[in-house]
Parts: sequence; structure tokens; C-alpha cells
Amino acid sequence: MKNLSTILATLVLVFAFMNSASAEDWKVSATAKKKLNPYELSKKNISSGKKVYQTNCKSCHGDPTKANMLPLVPAPTDLGSQNFLVQSDGEIYHKIKTGKGAMPTFENTLNDESKWMVIAYLRSFDKNKKKAVVAKAVVNPEVIDVKIELNVDADNKKLRAQLTGLKKDGKRVGLEGIEMSFLVKRTFGQLDISGEEAYTNANGELLIQFPTDLPGDREGQVDLLVKLTDEDNYGPVEEKRVLSIAVPTNPKNPLDERAMWGTRANAPIWIIASYVLGVIGIWSVIFLVLFQVFQLSKMRVKS
Amino acid sequence: MNDNTKSKETILSFEKLKQDILRPMQNHKGLELWIVFLVTVIAVCTWAYYVQLRDGLGVTGMRDYVSWGLYIANFVFFVAVSLVGMLISSILGLLKVDWITPISRIAEIIAVAFVAVAGLVIILDMGRPDRVVNVLIHGRFQSPILWDVTVITTYLVISTLLLILPMIPDLAICKKEMKNASPILKKVYNILSFGYTNTPEQHKHLHKMIRTLMVLIVPVGLAIHTVTSWLFAATLRNGWDTTIFGPYFVAGAFVAGSAALVVAMYFFRVNYKLQDYITDLHFDKMGKLMVAVCLVYLYFNVNEFLVPGYKMKSGDSVHLKELFFGSWAIMFWSSQLFGNILPIILMVNKRFRKPMPIMIISLFVIASAWFKRYVIVIPTMLHPHLPVQNVPDHFKHYFPSSIEISVTVLSFALALLIITVLAKIFPVVPICEIADQKGIDYKIEE
Ligand code: HEC
Repeated sequence: MKNLSTILATLVLVFAFMNSASAEDWKVSATAKKKLNPYELSKKNISSGKKVYQTNCKSCHGDPTKANMLPLVPAPTDLGSQNFLVQSDGEIYHKIKTGKGAMPTFENTLNDESKWMVIAYLRSFDKNKKKAVVAKAVVNPEVIDVKIELNVDADNKKLRAQLTGLKKDGKRVGLEGIEMSFLVKRTFGQLDISGEEAYTNANGELLIQFPTDLPGDREGQVDLLVKLTDEDNYGPVEEKRVLSIAVPTNPKNPLDERAMWGTRANAPIWIIASYVLGVIGIWSVIFLVLFQVFQLSKMRVKS
Repeated sequence: MNDNTKSKETILSFEKLKQDILRPMQNHKGLELWIVFLVTVIAVCTWAYYVQLRDGLGVTGMRDYVSWGLYIANFVFFVAVSLVGMLISSILGLLKVDWITPISRIAEIIAVAFVAVAGLVIILDMGRPDRVVNVLIHGRFQSPILWDVTVITTYLVISTLLLILPMIPDLAICKKEMKNASPILKKVYNILSFGYTNTPEQHKHLHKMIRTLMVLIVPVGLAIHTVTSWLFAATLRNGWDTTIFGPYFVAGAFVAGSAALVVAMYFFRVNYKLQDYITDLHFDKMGKLMVAVCLVYLYFNVNEFLVPGYKMKSGDSVHLKELFFGSWAIMFWSSQLFGNILPIILMVNKRFRKPMPIMIISLFVIASAWFKRYVIVIPTMLHPHLPVQNVPDHFKHYFPSSIEISVTVLSFALALLIITVLAKIFPVVPICEIADQKGIDYKIEE
């Protein structure tokens, strides 16, 4: 028993030593410290930062300010604590980028934008940052069966979404102050058209102006996805719709024209002509010569 | 020395000429042993090809990034060597350079053998050779691959004609003289001599055709190697993306082809005892010719590497640094040194243009030319524009597998076998042309 505690104590000491040794090498250079978050502390940025945090950091660091991190040694810092937030943007950025010990490096797994968004999110807990815009705390009644109802005014290109939920007493009420994302499907990924302040009003309503110049397909159709930006409160709630309110376009298939990259049938005329004429030209001379060779024997002298 | 050859020439009769050239074709023990050796090598290496055919190209060292490996480098080399036919018998022939007469047939034999095997190497490089006809059925006119297939076939046909047509008078002689040839061979002589009896009319007619072909093969010969270079240059890759690739390849081909010709000349001279026909003079002239083509090639090399090396554009710089100082440096610099710079320095000196020294120099030139093709193909494949990442480690390097090496040996053995067989059944030195040139009268009877 005594032996065991000795071993344990030694282990703890060794760990402590290793940690203090490693704590030293998380060196952040002066220039790195000076870096500032290029993204403003808007509600939008904060909520997308929250998203990044929840998928990448929460598992170890827990919820900011709640100190419910994983019991690791050394413990993952509570990233919402004021003690932590005295660090500069650049310092935090550097630490996220490089990682240390159990803290993984996010250099390649998170792009720069996501890293800064997380920092914006963490800053929203900073009591000293007066600039921080935190969503007004609205208390919605407890509801189930949350739904998005979408009304489209195609003439004016206006989209009206209403977010409602069923109260315990069976009454459907609008949910206030919830952020929604309006996403239009493009060739590569989704275009966010929700604008800066996409929060529902007291009736749970949100009015979005669809961009007047956004191109759609031949019929002017686009795929719209409306969903809750933050799935934390009500889970994933979304509404999909094919809308005919975009600008109709006539996309050209680059394979339809005669071009170098085209199919054989669509090869440029000049290249077909050069090839065919070249082959015919050379080979007709070859055949001519071959034919002439057989004339030789007609010219022989019979002995 | 000069006086010596002259006195020999004066006593040269058509009888002796005929005997000297036809004798080695009739009884030559060493030649038969050599053929047996080549056939054995081919048989062993065919097994390697069978394994590749059975298991797929996975047995080679080629992976997703390096999909053109040893085979394609070897293909370019074979095409390059085959260009000697066009250089010697056509360009120099049209320019009425008369010393080439005794060696023009050897040049043409090399051309036929190497271009035929070059075409075959492409098929050996295919995982599914049974699909080769798809190039013709579905080939796109925009694709250099279709042009390459076309132009190689055309070059092979014209080269074969340029081998056979000037040989018609000689074959008419063979038909009469080669009494103990096999019946099949007699038939070949009979058919391919087209009833030639050397009437002035026939003579004129034949030479008109030969001249037509000699003109025709110039654009086709230029095209064959230019198109081969376009296989690379038409691709937007560092190291290939250059406008001088066509003439650069042609210049390099003249170097490799001339060297191959010198080696072949040496071996025929010694083994066929043709010292009276392939004389020191021919080696001397070939040496001078090689210096000339090496200088042209050097000029292209300077352009090809100095210009991008001066600018060091970001993509190019990775590639060039690998060649100049990196893992390809030894191969790159030794191919430049032994294949280009040293041969020039040595061969401006008369002593090194003697048969033995120039043959050894030529062996170095051939080896360097081969490695030069390797350095053109593989380093570029290893440096695509998008970074190579998150792939198995063996995708990032290339080294030919033993199967690939065996199949490449197969291609060499096959080319040598074709040359040997052609030199066994056909006179390697043109009998009648030499007689014509020397003003010796002769008659050919039916
Ligand atoms: C695998 C668990 C784990 C994950 C996931 C993780 N961290 Fe950490 N993090 C740690 C640990 C452990 C430490 C303490 C490291 C130390 O001090 O040696 C740490 C430290 C940090 C620090 C430095 C705190 C200080 O006191 O200076 C920052 C900043 C940080 N993490 C940010 C993040 C962010 C942002 C994410 C998500 C993008 C994240 N971490 C994800 C485990 C994790």
C-alpha cells in the first residue's frame, strides 16, 4: 500500500514536472501576440464561432464559463473565464493554431476564418470588451414540435419565415430572438442570403429580401434551405423549398461548342482538316510509290 | 593510310564486292549464337510481360502520380534512335553527301527496328492492350496520342519502303547468288526484287521513287519526334510546358541516332569483316556529324534550362532545383556531361574519331540519351501542380519494378533481334550503289 502511494506520488510529480516543462514552451512571439481579430464581433460571427466551438472544442473545454471541462492534466482551460480572456487575440489564435500536449493543433483542421470566429465567440464572454454584442436574452416558453413556416412573395422577392412551437397547453406560439439561416444552393456549396441580423421578432417572424440579381437555372429556380443557425436550442429544424424567383439564365454547356476540350465530334474544324488532309496527303504518296514498284517488273528485259 | 585505301579501291571488282558483302550472310556461326541468345532473353522477359498482363499494371512501380514511367521514357528513346534513318539516308542523301552510301542501309535498318519496337513499347505500357484499337475507333483529333499513333505507323511504313526500295537491285543479285538460302528466303528475294534487271529505264524509275520517299520522310520524321514531344509539351506541367520541346527532341534524337549508328557500324565492320567498305573515313565523318548535332543539342539544352532557370517561376523552381541540386542531379548532370559536353570536347579531336574510341564514346552517348529521357519524363510526373498529400508513401516516389525492367530489356532485345535478322537476310552494305558510285560496271540477269 505504501509502495503504491509512493509510485503514485512519483507519477504525479513526474507529470507535474512534464507539464511545467511543457507550459514553458507555449511561447507566443511578440508579433504573433499583436495580431488582431479581423472579424467584427457581430452576432453573426459570434454564432458561427459558437458552431465551430461546439463541434471542435466543447468535447474537452466544456461550455465557456461553466468550468465543465474534461478532467485532464493539465486541465483544458475554461475558455470563457476572465482569467483566460485577458490574453490577446493573437495569443489565443497562436495557441489554437499550434496546440500543445493534449491540446490538438488546428493549423490545418480549421481554416483561418473559423479560428477567428471561435475567438469572436470566446470574446463574447469577455466582460471588458464593451463592443461585444450579445444576443438579447429572450426567454421563450418551453415548446415542442418547432416548425418553420415559409411564405414566398415571388413578385417582390420577399421571403417571410415564421418559427413556431407548441406550448404545453397546446397553443402554437412564435419564438423570438432566434437566428435563422437562409441558404441558396450554388454550384459549390451554399450562399447565405440571410443578412446580418437574421433574428425572429416577437411573433417569431423574419423577413428576408431575396437578392434581385441572383441567377437561377433556365426557369429561374433555386433550391432554398431555411434552418435554425444554432441547433442547440431546438435541434435541427429546417425547411426546404424550390423557388422560382431567381433570374432565369441560359447556362452554356462548354461541351456543346467546337473546342480543344470537346468530344471527337466537336473537334475544331481546322484540326480535323489538318489531320485528315495530312494523313490523306502522305498516304496517297505512299500508295502511289507502292503502285509504281509493281510497275518495275514490267520494264525488265527478258533473257 | 589514305593511299592504302585508294589502291584497294582501284582493284575492287564487282565480283569481290559481291563476295565480301554476301559472305557473312551465308555462313556466320557467331551470328546464329547471338540470335539464340537474344531469343532466350526475349523468352525470359516475355514471362515478365505475361505477369504484368495477368496481374495488371499494379506490378509496375507506376502509381497515381507517376503514371508515365520507365516505359514511356524508353518509348521516347526508341523513337529518338529511329530518327537516324531520316537524318542519314534522307537528309544527307538529298544533300548528295556521298560518303553515306555504305552506311545508309544500316541507318535504315536501325530506323525500322527501333520505330517498330517503339510502337510496341506503347502497347506494352497498356494495362489493357486489347483496347489499343479504341485509339483509332474513338481517338479524338485534338489528342496528340492519336497523332502519335498515326505518325509512328506512317514512319514505320516509309522507313520500311526506304529500306527495301534501294535494296531491290541487291536483292536481284541475292536471288541469283545465294544458292544455298532456304526456300522461303529465296521466295522473299524473288518477290522483293520485283524482276529488277537494271535496265536504264528501271534504274531511273526506281531512283525517282526513292527520291520521292526521301522527300516524304523528312516531314514525317520531323513529325514523329515533334508529336512525341507534344505528348509532353501539350500538357501544362512544369518541365514540359515549353515551346522548344519539338526541335529540342529532334536535336536530341539526331544525337542518339547517330551514336547508335556508329555502334552498329563498328560491330558490322568487325563481325562482317567490312573494313574495306566501312572505313576509318566513315567513322571520322560520323564523328564530325555527331559534334555538329551535339552542338545543336547543347544549344537547345542551354535554352531549355537557362531561360526557366533564370526566371525560376514558382512551379518551375521546385522542378529545376530537383534536377540541378536535388535527387535527380547526378542523373541530370551526368547525362549532360557524358551525352553532350564531353563527346563534343573529345570528338573535335581527330584521334577520338577513330573507330574504337568513337564507338566507346557513342556507347556513353546512348546511355546518357536514355537517362536523359528518364529525367524528362519522371521528375515532372512527381511534381504535379496540386501538392501531393494524404497519399500512401509509395505514390510519392517512383522506382521501376523488376517486371518493368524486364519488359524494357525485352524491348531492347527485340530491337537487336530485328536488326540482326535483317542483317542476316539482307546485305547490310548496298552492293549496287557502291558499284554505281565507284563506276564499276555490272549486270543483273533474271
Ligand atoms: C483533445 C482535447 C482538446 C480539444 C478538442 C481542444 N482543446 Fe484546447 N486545450 C486542451 C488542453 C488539455 C489544454 C491545456 C494545454 C496545456 O496547458 O498544456 C488546452 C488549451 C487550450 C488553450 C490555451 C489556454 C490557456 O490557458 O492559455 C486554448 C486557447 C485552447 N485550448 C483553445 C481550444 C479551441 C479553440 C479548441 C477548439 C477549436 C480546442 N482548444 C480544442 C485540450 C483540448
